[in-house]
Parts: sequence; structure tokens; C-alpha cells
Amino acid sequence: MSKNLSDLTGRKGVQENLFTKIGELAANGGGTPSLEELNRLADEFLIGKANIYGTATFYDFLKPENQGKKVYVCNGSACLCAGTQDGLISDLKGKFKEEEIGHMTCLGRCHENGAFHYDGKNYSALDKDGFESVFKGEGKNQDDYAVGSHGHAVLTAPFEGMEVYADLLKTALAKDSAEVLEEVKAAGVRGRGGAGFPMGVKWEFARNAKSDLKFIICNADEGDPGAYSDRYLLEQRPHAVLFGMIIGGYCMGAEWGVLYIRAEYPESFPIIESAIEDFRSSGLLGQDINGSGFNFDFKIVPGQGSYICGEETALISSIEGQRPEVRVRPPFPAQKGLFNKPTIVNNVETLAVVPYVIKNGGAAYAALGTEKSNGTKLVSLDSYFNRPGIYEVEMGTPLSTVVNELGGGFKEPVKALHIGGPLGGMVPASKIDELTIDFESFASGGFLLGHASVVCIPETFPIMTYLVELMDFAAVESCGKCFPCRLGTKRAHEMLESANTSSYRIDTELFDDLLHTLTQGSLCAHGGGIPLPVRNALQYFEEELEPYFTKEVSHV
Amino acid sequence: MSKIAYINNKPHEIVPGETMISLARRALGKDSIPTLCDAPNLEPFGSCRVCSVDVALEKNGPTKVFASCHTPVAEGQFIYTDSPNIQRLRKNIIELVLTDHPLDCLTCEVNGNCELQTVAARVGITDVRYPEGATHLDREKDLSHPYMTSDLSKCINCYRCVRACDEVQGEFVLSMAGRGFDSRIIKGMDESFDDSPCVSCGACSQACPTAAISDVFKSKSIANTQKTRTVCNYCGVGCNLEVATAGGEIKGIQAPYDAEVNQGHTCLKGRYAFKFYDHPDRITSPMIKRDGEFEKVSWDEVYDHLAAKFKYFRDEFGPDSMAGISSARCTNEENYLMQKFFRVVVGTNNIDGCARVCHSPTALGMQRTFGTGAATNSVEDIKFTEAIMVIGANPTEGHPVTGAKLKQFAMTGKTSIVIDPRRTELARYATYHLQLRPGTNVAVLNMMLYYIVKEGLADQDFIAARTEGYEDFCEELLKLDVAAMEAVSGVDRELVRQAAIAYATAERAMSFHGLGVTEHSQGTFTVMQIADLALITGNIGRRGVGVNPLRGQNNVQGMADMGAQPYQGAGYLDVSDPDVIKHYEAFYGVDMPTEIGWKIPQMYDAALQGKLKAVWVIGEDMVQTDPNSNHVRKALGSLEMLVVQEIFMTPTALMADVVLPGASFLEKSGTFTNGERRIQRVNQVVEPIGDSKPDGQIIVELMNRMGYQQPDYDPAVLLEEISGIVPFFAGVKWDELGDNGKQWPVAVGGQDTPILHIESFKRGKGLFVFNAFKETEEVVVNAEKFPYILTTNRNLEHYNCGAQTRRTANIELVSEDVIFIHPEDAEEHGIQDADMVCVESDRGKVDIKAKVSDEIKKGVLSTTFHFPEIMVNDLTSSISDSIAMCPEYKVVSVRIRKARKVGTRA
Repeated sequence: MSKNLSDLTGRKGVQENLFTKIGELAANGGGTPSLEELNRLADEFLIGKANIYGTATFYDFLKPENQGKKVYVCNGSACLCAGTQDGLISDLKGKFKEEEIGHMTCLGRCHENGAFHYDGKNYSALDKDGFESVFKGEGKNQDDYAVGSHGHAVLTAPFEGMEVYADLLKTALAKDSAEVLEEVKAAGVRGRGGAGFPMGVKWEFARNAKSDLKFIICNADEGDPGAYSDRYLLEQRPHAVLFGMIIGGYCMGAEWGVLYIRAEYPESFPIIESAIEDFRSSGLLGQDINGSGFNFDFKIVPGQGSYICGEETALISSIEGQRPEVRVRPPFPAQKGLFNKPTIVNNVETLAVVPYVIKNGGAAYAALGTEKSNGTKLVSLDSYFNRPGIYEVEMGTPLSTVVNELGGGFKEPVKALHIGGPLGGMVPASKIDELTIDFESFASGGFLLGHASVVCIPETFPIMTYLVELMDFAAVESCGKCFPCRLGTKRAHEMLESANTSSYRIDTELFDDLLHTLTQGSLCAHGGGIPLPVRNALQYFEEELEPYFTKEVSHV
Repeated sequence: MSKIAYINNKPHEIVPGETMISLARRALGKDSIPTLCDAPNLEPFGSCRVCSVDVALEKNGPTKVFASCHTPVAEGQFIYTDSPNIQRLRKNIIELVLTDHPLDCLTCEVNGNCELQTVAARVGITDVRYPEGATHLDREKDLSHPYMTSDLSKCINCYRCVRACDEVQGEFVLSMAGRGFDSRIIKGMDESFDDSPCVSCGACSQACPTAAISDVFKSKSIANTQKTRTVCNYCGVGCNLEVATAGGEIKGIQAPYDAEVNQGHTCLKGRYAFKFYDHPDRITSPMIKRDGEFEKVSWDEVYDHLAAKFKYFRDEFGPDSMAGISSARCTNEENYLMQKFFRVVVGTNNIDGCARVCHSPTALGMQRTFGTGAATNSVEDIKFTEAIMVIGANPTEGHPVTGAKLKQFAMTGKTSIVIDPRRTELARYATYHLQLRPGTNVAVLNMMLYYIVKEGLADQDFIAARTEGYEDFCEELLKLDVAAMEAVSGVDRELVRQAAIAYATAERAMSFHGLGVTEHSQGTFTVMQIADLALITGNIGRRGVGVNPLRGQNNVQGMADMGAQPYQGAGYLDVSDPDVIKHYEAFYGVDMPTEIGWKIPQMYDAALQGKLKAVWVIGEDMVQTDPNSNHVRKALGSLEMLVVQEIFMTPTALMADVVLPGASFLEKSGTFTNGERRIQRVNQVVEPIGDSKPDGQIIVELMNRMGYQQPDYDPAVLLEEISGIVPFFAGVKWDELGDNGKQWPVAVGGQDTPILHIESFKRGKGLFVFNAFKETEEVVVNAEKFPYILTTNRNLEHYNCGAQTRRTANIELVSEDVIFIHPEDAEEHGIQDADMVCVESDRGKVDIKAKVSDEIKKGVLSTTFHFPEIMVNDLTSSISDSIAMCPEYKVVSVRIRKARKVGTRA
């Protein structure tokens, strides 16, 4: 979080993007940029070589250890629970040296698993032939999953075509931007990234910030293992997302829309690029769009493998080419964001509802869902469901409807659902009937709706093992800035791991203190959120976990 | 209505926008909330979370935890700083920290002065409950650097060093590598301190709460308990220093956070380059040269010898056969005494000082335009300005603390104009870099003035109300042959136009200038143009504007203020004005000299003509630093007596007939006046080495020996005398200067003046005078034979002749002068990096090591003159500013070739 670095890296504008350049150097350099090239870039951007080295060593796909990696195996929680990856790795060892095999955390193929990344594309090792065909250049890159809806379809409704969107946009741009913003505010769309903050209010903050340059960023860094609803929207409904960004830009006076897309979704890039061209050829990008006086264009920035970049301030630092460490607030991004300019970061799913709102009016959208949780929500179901896939439900829909009707029930007995990503709650099977898909129901039940991804933990899968993996993820992905998270996730993982593999028993009071420290002390939701599923597990799976903990209070 | 928030249920008034910790510090004391990552001169960062507090919306209501360092306090909040929840949180965070920290406190260099130790004790850690886990205790120490050290096994990842390097110094040498638990501090690209681009400012070391980053002096060691606050004796920034001593020996230096000048920052010279003070080379006793050999003598003997000689010269050849050169390194009180000695005791105005060779044109030029020859504003004004213009100055090297502030400004992207032949560090970050040929400042500044008028950006209201001479000025200006000025300066006119518009349209614009302005044949004119630029845009008399010369030496401002120039006495009073003479005579009770005395270059001429017999110089090495060294040596050699008062045997001291051992700034008290007219207290830290004495005491004792009664050297007493004769010191009292000093003029009653010319100028109205560009004779006469232009400059690590810095570990950082050559020029002469180059001017030649660099333009060379091994001033000319007689160090016509023998300089 260096104001100086934000200013300096912003001097060349968003077009000449430092972070993108580092990524290109790594791609051309066999997985990591050379020091000479980094030094040259540091000079070009007037920043310290320490800064750029610090950035490069942060990311999975830039750091020196990434050199020479040829294939990456998904180690997301859905693939983990599915148990497909050990076999996949051993198959890959027949084709690659061990040091050529890396990891990517969640390729968004949670509905079928066996996911891996090879030569810039994602695949699922579903059978021997399919697996072999990948290395003959004939692999099936496309995956298939069910898409459905329950109640009113907003996001999953068929794309009506570029012409309809163009007309809608032109009509909107002919109106006063304040009027358009009022419509968005009337819809009461709450952010789908997890925090649930009203999008229109956020846009208004940025609108009111005085600056000659503003940005709207689409957070397409869907890092939650188990979630692939953003991937669905990016690949199946790209126009809706871009449409939302243009309207957002118009409402707040932003000239640039930046799409930060995670590298783990390689298939999204050409699709988004092609959709951007659709807007461009319809005359909806560039200077003075359709005579509105509004200028807008897009820039795509690929991620480089870091979960924390989904946190909005880390994401902003990432785009700047700084180390993606979480920033303090204030200043809020709407005041000082990308390159110290007013910036709004919206999640993919939040932006994708905008065409509906513009077409049907804010009131129509507000009428959907519950009183406090408007609209619809995408839910991603993993392969333990009989019908895994992406389902759109109106807010307030019972979880049981999702599980039993849309998902078609479980393939085999499941004891818990980890809903809302790694920082989401661990819902025991017994609670399924008590919850409805909306922010309030989950919060009051002691869980978190989050991004509404559902990862099943089967009866046969030890909760302790799940916690070990979960805390490993938390520690590996901690940015390291705040003390509680940097040290706490590591120590928590060490204790869980040790208890799981030896006779060591975790000091119950110490563990409670540690979770308290993480929850209360962490700078962001990464460290602050990770105790939730752990506490859920301790509460609902007390018996299963009992052998790993001391019973007595050991310290005063 | 004031707004109220509650801390531990007690109401306190809040300041809008302040953080919770700021409120708590004000309400409950500065240590009321513990923290590890917060530091006084850094932005809130929020990494340690130790400063967390519970916050409720009602008394004893449900609470939420916030980090107080970065959370703004809101009206009506109830903040609980020590609730059980918070106590638990803090204790557990510190316990986590201790799981990855060596528990070797007793043998740690910061034992007793470690913030982690303090906080751990405060939160009550008794043991670490965690089972053994991964640690970083095996990280190796980095002892590669002459000053900086690190032991990152002690690092707690608070980022204070990284932020200090960024937010304070603006250098970006430090960062973090990796992520999460394995993230770690790196220097450069994971290099050692010595290999990294570290500028050794020590900001990281001072910022570090543990011993993870420190220095070879172990400056944070608690053993060094005796602390003395004083003022640095290097550049004119005037950093406050806190000097730690033990057993009468200096152990280390830190920068006090409450210093208004430097806010806890200083540079490697101020912080680390102090070991010259007890260097074996120090002169420890008076010496008289007999038969070509220096003989140590007693003070009595030397005083008798000098008094007799001085009386002899005075009586035999008249008072004007003697001259004094005072020292910008000495205190105001000492400078006052030195000029008093010559004017009052000897009876001559032959007194000058090193300002002659640096900022004399600034004093004169600004006096002509404004009436006062000193900075109009304060460095603090950078915080309030919207545009800066830096001309002929390289402050990141020459004035590092102000340079760092200017760099911080430039990095924001706000308008920054750099006019310099070299691509200086600031130029890299500037919005406009006008890279002119050395010697063409007047051409470029006239173009700027021209475009401001042409574009209709002149501030007519200000001009009408506050200035005179504008119409005549404009008439001449608008005749400017822009194409010719563009050709002569080599700066694209469109770039000049844009820079002019940017300067003129900024609501507030400040200019800073250095010796690249003054050390030219048209130096005084250039200063007047800079002042004209301020006048024409109304950038004077407000916050965030003005003309701000970067004074080179710690007390060059004070030396001039005290009267160390041949035409103005103490307080800049004209010594040829009968009223002034009467005023001085009434004050001193003696007959005063009535003729204006000799400036330094005139002294040399007078010596060569046999008119000047004796010179007493304090703390200046003219042989190495004055231009045309051969000429200087010849002049000094023809004196009958040269008295040099010094701390080291400089090339000048070696030529002396009598050597007097002065004291360094660490060994005496007094005041220095910095470049922003701030009179600050210099407090004695240690006793003078050997038989050396404070320079002021030496002068007093000689005065007494000459029969003039002057009380012993005591700054408080002398300031009382000075306040009676120097108008702008009227209200200066030793006891009232406090830690941060006062900016003159100081009125009776003590009110000081951070900004000059608010209502009117000293001379009434600001005066516009047009001066046309004139090519220097140096180039006109020599260009054909000597086609390259050599310009001289300074580097960060060394100071002036290097007498002090070369006797510190700075010598390990930079050990020689080098010459910068453009790659194309180098290629043309078959010169490669580190080759020896023979550089020849009309005056002489030197061999010097090449540094091939595109920091300078083709046809231009640049070098420093910090080392006596290479007498760069054998090359420089005797040409000087037409008015102030400041030498033209910045333009030397030379030719170059690859030296025949490598290493001939040895």
C-alpha cells in the first residue's frame, strides 16, 4: 500500500500496465521473469527493483519456483473431496518430471473434478482416453454442466443478442447519468462478492468523488475453491458483465473498465475479448459514445495466481503491479483506488444483473427475492450432486430446494456442505432444511452465504483432514501483511496437521485464543473469516474432532 | 460545536478526521495504546493490529474491534482501550509474534530499547504456548555495508523499514518478497545492503522497532543513554540531530521526530558521517611553520606570535594589508566575532567567506529584486504548493532531506519543473526536464518569462500592486529572439512553453535553486530572473510559494547575516554608507573602516600584487575548492603570512604559516542559521579534542591579545550583542530558541517570520529588471580549442572538499571523483567505463576515471571535486559572476582524450 507506487505505476495509464508486463515476461521466460527484465521494467516505471521483485515473488505463476512448470493440477476443495487428484498426479508423473507438475487452486471444474491445466488450457481427466487425448493435442477443453433456474431467471436467461444490448445501452446513455444511477439504486442490488454492499450506493460514492480519472473494475478473480458461477457468467454471459461495467462507468464518470480475470480461467479471456469487440463494433466504446459525451474502454488484466487478489484493495494493488497486500480503509477505493483515483470494484455477478435492471427498471428487480436480499443468486454445485451445475434461484429459496430439486440430491451420503468458499460456513447436513438462500438466513444461522458455492464433504471424508487442507489454503494464500493472519493461519495449520498425523493434541484454550485473534484482529476477511468454518466444524462435528484436542483447560 | 467521543467512558473532544489512536494519544498520553507498526513519520499501515480497541455505539454497549491507528474516530463513539477482549487480543498477537522471534533479549543490541520487548512486557506475556513450528530464526546477518546492518531473524514484518524507505526517503530500496508466513524483507532484488541501491540514510534503521535493521554504531542501543540535541554541520537544510554519548565519546546519531526541519529523518552524512571528529588526523595543537616544518607550539606562543604579526602588518602596511576569510561551518556567533575582529580590531572591511563561491549571487540578486537576500519561504511549504521548479540544484544529493521531500512531491505527478544540464534523480520524476547546455540559464528563463507574458498568464493585479519596472522589462522581454535562445540552450521551445504555462497556472508555485544558478558569469542575473518569475506570477508572500535558494553549507546563511562580506557588515548594512558607519561606530565605540573591502577573488589578485600581506582563514580549503587552483596556490604563496584555523591539514592548511586547531560542531555551542532563515541552537556534545578550542574562543583570545576587550565565547552573551546590531535578530535570545529555533526576522518579543514579503518588500516594491543572455567568455574564448563543456557538481556521500567525509566510512561508499561522459562522446574517443581520461582546460589538466552515462547530453561532461588526489579545480577558470564575483564552476571549456597511462593519478 504505497501511495507513491500507485502514482508512479499509474503514470503510463492503465493501457501500459506494469503487472501485465510482468506477467508477459514470466510467460516468455518459462514461468518467471528474469531479473534483468524486471530491473528494466523497474527503471521504466521509476520504481524500486525491490518493489518489482517483491511483486514477482508473491504470485504462484511469477515466482521463481514456477520456472519450468508444465502442467498444473487443481487442488481446490471440490477436487480434493472428490478424491480424483491423487490418481491424476500419478498419471501425470508418467508424462512429466515431478518438478514440472504444479498446482492451481480451483480451475472451476468442481462439477466434474479431475481438473488440470496444460499448455494454457483447462481439462478434466474424466477417463483414460480423454486424459491421453490432451497430450495428443486433441483434448476436450470444453466442459459441460447443468444450468437451471428456480423462479425468475435474470442471469441465466438467454442472451438476447448484441443488437438488443446496443439499443438498451444507447437509450441509457441518452439519459442523464444521475437518472440511470437512480434506477440502479432503486433495484437495491447487493454485491455478490460476499460483503453484500448495495452497488448503487457504491457507485454514488465514486460519482461524488472529484477526479479527472476514475475506474470501474470487474473483480473476476473468483478464487473461492468450489465456486464457478463467475466463470459461467464470463464464458456464457460475457455481454451482460461488460454491459454492467459500461453503465457503471457512465453513472460514476469512469473512463476505464478494468477486468481482472484469474489466470486459472484461461477460456474466459478470448470470450471476453470477443464480447468487447462486439461492443466496439456496435459503437459502444471509445470517445463520446453515441454522442453522449461519455468515454469508455476496457482493459483486461490477467491474474497470476493469488487468492487474496479477490479482496478489492489487494486486487487494486495487484493491477498496479504492487504486492497485493490488503490496504487499510479509509481511504476507500471510491475515494482513492487504482492509481490513487476513485475506483469501484464490483463482482462479476453483481455487474451481470445490470442489463436486467436497465431493461426492466429497478423496481422490477427489487421485487425479486426477499425484502433485504433482492434479486436472484447463482449457486454452484459440485460433483457430489446428482445434477451438478449452476443454478439461479430467487433469494429466499430454501437450501433444500437447491439440494434436492435442482441438484437432484447427493450421489452418496454427505455430512456437511461448505458453502460460500473457504471463508464460508460449514453447514452440517442436518441444517440444510433450516436455511434459505439469502444473506440474512445464513448470517442468523451462524453461516455465510458468500458466493454461494457448495462443496460437499462426504461421510467418508474426515473433517480433520478437511480442516488441515482448509487451514493450509488459508496460510498459503495469506498476503502476510497483518500479524494475526500471517502467523495465526500458519500456526493453526501446524497444530491441525500435527494432531492429524501424530499423537499431538491441540491445546483447546490456545486454539480458541488463536481463532479469537484471527477473527478479531485480522486486517481483512481472509484471516477474519477462516475461523468460521473451523468453529462450525468444532460445533457440529465435536465428536469426530474430540480425539485431536485436549479436554482440560491447560492454562490460566 | 465541538464533537465528543468517549475513551473508557470519559468524554474527549475530537478533531475532524483524526484516528482513534491520535485521539487516545492526545487524551491519555502518547503511549496510551501500544503498537508495533505505527511510527511518527509514517502513514497508518494496520499490520500489527496491536493497537486494536473495542468500539461501541453506546456506553458499555456491544463492541466491535477496530485497529485504532487507521480508523477515524466518529462522534459519539465509545472507545475502550483496555477491555478484557482487547487485552486478550493483544497478548495473543504478541504471543504469535514470539513464536517466530529469537528469545535472546539479554544479548540483543537493542535490549532495553526494543519496542517488541516493551509491548510484550506491557501485555504480560509469560510464556509461549505454541508447539514448536516453522521459524525464520536461521536467517543470516547482513554485515556487508559500511553503515547499515540487518539481522532479519529479528524481523517482525511490521514494514516500518519498507515504508520509511518509500514514504520518507522515497528510495524504494526495501520491499517484502514472498507471501504469507514466508514473506521477508529484501533489499533490492534480494541483495545485500552493500549491493543494493541503498543511500544509507538510516531511516529504516531508525524506524525498525527491533534490531532487525540497525547500523554499525548500534544507534538504538540503550547503553548510549546520554543524548544531546544539536544541528548538523553539513548542508544548509539544518537537520536536528540527537547525539548519543557514553563516557564522553559519541556513540551514534538519531534524528528527533519532533524536529520541524527534518521530522525524524536525516541523511548518511548527518546520521553516520561523524567519525571524523576524533579521527587521528585531527589537528590537536597550534603550529607555527619554521624552516618549512610545522612545529607544535603553545596557545600563548601562537597568540603572541600572531598578535605581534598582525600589529606589524597593520602598523606597517595599514589595516587593508590584512584580510579574513570566515567560515560557513562556524556558528553565527563565531562569524560575528571574525568580522568584528577585522572591522573593529584591525580596522578593515577585508572580510569575506565561502558564500562568495556559492550563493553570493543569490543574496545580491534577491536583494536587488526583493530587498532581502534570503529564502522567502520555508521548506515546510512544499506541503502546500502545487508546483515546484528546481533550477541548477540536485537536492537528492546535495540537500538530501529537502531533496527527499521534493522527490516525494515530484512522485505524486504534480507539476515539477527541473532545469538542469544533468538528468538528476529529480529530473527522472519531473513533469518537465529542461536539459539545457550549461551556462544558458538566462536564455531558458527569459523564454519562460516570455511565454508567460505571451500566453497572457502574467498576474496583472499582483504586478500592479506590488512591483515596479514591469513595463520596461516587458518591452525588452518581448523582443526576445526565441529561436536564438532555443538554439543556444538546446531546449525545445515548446517544452519551455509548456513548463512556463504549468508554473504560471499553478495556484501556488515554489522555486528552489542551487549553485547551478549562481556559479555562472550571469549568476546574479539568473537569480533575478527566478525572482521575476515569482513576481510575474504573484508567487510571493504566501504559503507554498516563493524563491528558495538551497544554501550549500550549514551556516552560509548565518555567515552572511553576520557580516562576513566586504561590502555589508553585520545585518547586511552597507559599510560605505555614512549613516551606517556612524551607527556601527556608536555601537562599537571605535572608528570604523569606510572603504568597501576585497572579495575573495580580489584578495588573490591583491596578494599577487603584494598589496595583501596576511590572511586569516577559518575552516575553508580554498586550494582544493576555489577555482583555478594554480592561481589560488600562487596567490596564497605570495602572502607574507597565511593563518589557517582548521580541524584537518587540508591542502590550504599545508600552505599555512600558522595553523590553529579549531573545534568541530560537536565540540562547541552556538547557533546555525539554515537555508530557510531558521536560527537553531548548536549544543556542545563532547569536549574539544586535544588542545583544540571552539573557533569563537580563539578569536576572542586573539582580540584580547590585540588589546580589545571581548568576553569569553558564550553564545548567549554574543546573541545579546548581535541582537543589538543585526536588525532581524532583534528578538533572538539563546534561552528562547527552543528545540526548533526561530526564522528571522525575529521581532523584539520573539515573534519569528516563516514567510517573507507578505505585505510589502524590504525595498518597497519588487523590481523587474530585464537581463539578456550573454555567452560566457570561457566559451567564447576557448570553445574552439576546448570544445567540451565540463560542469561540476556534488555527490551524496561527500561534502565539499571531503575533509570530513573522507575521514568517515563514507570513503568506503565512494572513494574517488569520476567524470561522466556521454556514450557517443566516449565512443568517439575510444573511452570505456572506468578508463582514465585526460581532461584539459586552458588552465591545466587532470586524469580522472570515466563513467559513461547518458545522464548528461553529448558534448557535456560532469564531475565532482571531493578528492584532493584529483584537483579538478586545476581546470576551472577565474571567470566569475559579473556582479557578485561568484566563480563559474559550472562551465569549463575542456578537451578530452583517453589517458595514455592507466592509473597515472596514483
